[in-house]
Amino acid sequence: MDVPKYAALFLAESREHLGSCNLLLLEWEREPGATSQVGGLFRSIHTIKGMAATMGYTGVAELAHRMENLLDALRQGRVAAEGGIFELLFRGVDALARQVEAAAAGRESSPDGELKSAIDAAAAGHGGPAPAPAKSTRTRRRAGDLPRIRPVQVTIRSDTPMRGARAALVLRRAERMGVISRVRPPATHFELDEFDGRVSFRIETRAADDEVAAAIRSAGDVALVRFEETSPEEADAAARARQVRVDLRRLDALMKQVGELVVAKNRLSALAASASDNTLVELSDRISRLVSGMQGEVIGARMSPVGEVFDRFPRLVRDLARDLGKRIRFHMEGEEIELDRSILDEIGEPLLHLIRNAADHGIESPEQRAAAGKPTEGRILLAASRERNSVALRVSDDGRGIDREAILVKARREGLADGTADILTDDLLLRVLARPGFSTAEAVSGVSGRGVGVDVAMTRVRALGGTLEVHSEVGLGTSFVIRVPLTLAIVRALLADVGGERYAVPLAYVAETVEFNPRAVTAVRNREALVVRDQVIPTVHLRDLVVSRARPLPSKRPTVILEVGERRTALVVDALVGQQDIVVEPFEAPLGLPPFVGGATILADGAPALILDAAALV
Amino acid sequence: MSHTVLVCDDAIFMRTMISDILAQAGFEIVGEAESGVQAVEKYRQLKPDLVTMDIVMPDMGGIEAVREICKTDPDAKILMCSAMGQQALVVEAIQAGAKDFVVKPFQPSRVLEAVQRVLG
Repeated sequence: MDVPKYAALFLAESREHLGSCNLLLLEWEREPGATSQVGGLFRSIHTIKGMAATMGYTGVAELAHRMENLLDALRQGRVAAEGGIFELLFRGVDALARQVEAAAAGRESSPDGELKSAIDAAAAGHGGPAPAPAKSTRTRRRAGDLPRIRPVQVTIRSDTPMRGARAALVLRRAERMGVISRVRPPATHFELDEFDGRVSFRIETRAADDEVAAAIRSAGDVALVRFEETSPEEADAAARARQVRVDLRRLDALMKQVGELVVAKNRLSALAASASDNTLVELSDRISRLVSGMQGEVIGARMSPVGEVFDRFPRLVRDLARDLGKRIRFHMEGEEIELDRSILDEIGEPLLHLIRNAADHGIESPEQRAAAGKPTEGRILLAASRERNSVALRVSDDGRGIDREAILVKARREGLADGTADILTDDLLLRVLARPGFSTAEAVSGVSGRGVGVDVAMTRVRALGGTLEVHSEVGLGTSFVIRVPLTLAIVRALLADVGGERYAVPLAYVAETVEFNPRAVTAVRNREALVVRDQVIPTVHLRDLVVSRARPLPSKRPTVILEVGERRTALVVDALVGQQDIVVEPFEAPLGLPPFVGGATILADGAPALILDAAALV
Repeated sequence: MSHTVLVCDDAIFMRTMISDILAQAGFEIVGEAESGVQAVEKYRQLKPDLVTMDIVMPDMGGIEAVREICKTDPDAKILMCSAMGQQALVVEAIQAGAKDFVVKPFQPSRVLEAVQRVLG
């Protein structure tokens, strides 16, 4: 057996199952009378047990088995879903997660004894007298007795109407005999026209084959029941055609290669354009199209839904609320929105800080909320939405909002704001909050408030080429918005010339380009601003920011309207050169680099250029 | 003693047809319902051995009614009556707790087979 390969698969699948266990537990805990979650929990834990046993991870398998007994007792109503049970299940899932990680890393340990006995005691009805045996005569496992797992193939008669529904009935009947897993095709495919009436699955049961077969046949219209494995080709062909698991490093390597290909393609296009050779131009165009297509495919392959990162937060908020003695309802939206894997991997931490902030500083205690006439249960919303070429991730709460006066006082005391400022705009507020070490917490609570929240989030987000915004209203709540580009490695940029140097502006933040018209210039709060279609937009002259060789001002000056969220800036440049795909090179910012430089790239002609950070300019 | 049946369908035609098929086979029709809400109410009153349930009905559809009935009695013997092309709904009903189904147009023999499976 190729152990490392299977260990990686084991780890990946176990994590997914443990993630969904957490979500199911949260739902269930909210509505202890519900019955739909326990089945899902049981199946996930059961799958982990099966995988772990196959891998020889006996510690994991043992703990999973105990959890399974407890869930089974809950499912059959022998133990009530109330009180400390949820806490115990959460602890069990956590312990299982640790065991899974340790086992996959080759350091398997046996589960902690106290937890094991707590689970066993709960499964036996809190250690009280042994429960009366279940009234049904169905075949059920006895504690400690591992039933056999057998493969089953069922064929529905071909003249049956609605073979898919019949197959669903077969599964229901089989479930009465034991635990069903690995259903192929998955039950969601039964309704499809392609379903040919053949279904295979595994059943874990102590019942004899003929009992199981009889139960399955009782669903009606069953032509055939066989207890043998379908050939792997048959069973998995369909699934494999749809999905493969790829190591992310391979995609990274592929992306890097494509990135270099894009640079080479750009140079080729530039050469072809100057060579005035039609065949060369045609070939170069063709290569351009092919490379663009390839780039799209690679980027597509790297996209994953943000839900993969969101999934851990409901549990986090629940635990935070418990620790803080608050009541918090956590909602998520837009989990299906996709982001480049490499951004996704980096976005978890900033979100974590913002969510912690919301739970700790934002949401008030139930008493404070009641006194303020708000529902005692606070709300935190984590929402993703797609905008132009970026994705917005919003963390908002309906808590107390940020007390601008208190912050201003504190900022003045710490020398972060001068005495003249008497009002904090959202912008200035963010700048103050994002200063390293700035904390709004009255007391350092251990959750956040060590001043690491916003500044860490800000640094991370900026490193991704993204932006952070804050909106807050006293008494109503606070919302932070992170905006990140869809993908990191290759971005489409507008090239602008200032003083003979070229600068790249990511197109994701370019709203439009206009001509700088001196007659349309006005002033707002002592700042120059440009009037564009009745909108007043503050201007920034790139010339003033960069040390450029003195060249005469061109008579016509193009202006790039940058747009980050709601904010706009008119960036005045000398000339526009054109658009180009640029490959963002990994970049260690040297000290003293102006904040408006976000990175560097190599242009089509081989010359280096600086990438402007739109967020720092607006 | 013959088995008792509750027939749920919003069309009188279908109720009559199902009742006839089952009565001829010796079942006792103890009640009829023409909506999901009625089906749930009558199930609670009559505690029949068998329920035939149309999928599309006014005032709570058949699937919702199955769910409601199974909440209080998971072992309720409910036979779904569906039309062609409703496979997805039938699967949903089965997941909600229905024990079997027949497809319209009904053949008496198939209805009785399904009833036997449900009761057996």
